Amino acid sequence: MAVRIQSEPFDATQLALELQDRTAGQAGAIVHFLGMVRDYSPDQASRSLHLEHYPGMCEREIRQLCEQARQRWDILDTLVVHRVGELTLREPIVFVGVASRHRDAAFRACEFLIDALKTRAPFWKRETLENGQTFWVSQRQSDAEKTAQWGLKPVHHDASSKENNEPA
Amino acid sequence: MENGALIEVLYFARVAEHTGTRHETVPLATPTPAGEWLQSLVDRFPSLAPASHLKLAINQQHALASDLIRPGDEVAVFDPVTGG
Repeated sequence: MAVRIQSEPFDATQLALELQDRTAGQAGAIVHFLGMVRDYSPDQASRSLHLEHYPGMCEREIRQLCEQARQRWDILDTLVVHRVGELTLREPIVFVGVASRHRDAAFRACEFLIDALKTRAPFWKRETLENGQTFWVSQRQSDAEKTAQWGLKPVHHDASSKENNEPA
Repeated sequence: MENGALIEVLYFARVAEHTGTRHETVPLATPTPAGEWLQSLVDRFPSLAPASHLKLAINQQHALASDLIRPGDEVAVFDPVTGG
């Protein structure tokens, strides 16, 4: 189980090989998700993307999610790498890899991890347009709904008490 | 009082732009529910309103409105996250 937050670009093929090496002889399946920087404002020309994060909490939160995945599915290993800092369009931004004995567990765990990461790991995207204007990207409602589908409570909401069911 | 009754507060992304700082040490005399503390922050920085749209972490863990912030804690305030 490894989590890396880095400003340097990564090579997804190398990361998949790393996961393959770490589980050689045991894994029957390796599934990985590769997230790419896209244009978050399709109606206006984009120049670049800046990724801010909360060092420490990011790693901790992703490790907790990997641990949850390990408890829910029969998986052998996970590798999550996330970029921070300045990125350009079309660059890879996140790699989520899962190795398991059988493919079902790897497919499910990988989808769970990227869904949960998007609503739990403290990263924030700021896009700069060609005209120099900047804006913070908003969380998509569909991402919050996907996380809820996995049985993960939305962040800050306490389902056990109606009175406490307010965001902090 | 333990730790001099202070908390370390971190602001991230858009929130830091509104507070004009990314880090400050502020007094906290007694354990205070996160929701209540967040409202007092919005009273200080009205452009952050509404408080219900902000997220808060205590000691690097996502917090509920009812969770207590205690003297000595590290508190972080931010918008809903947008990684991945």
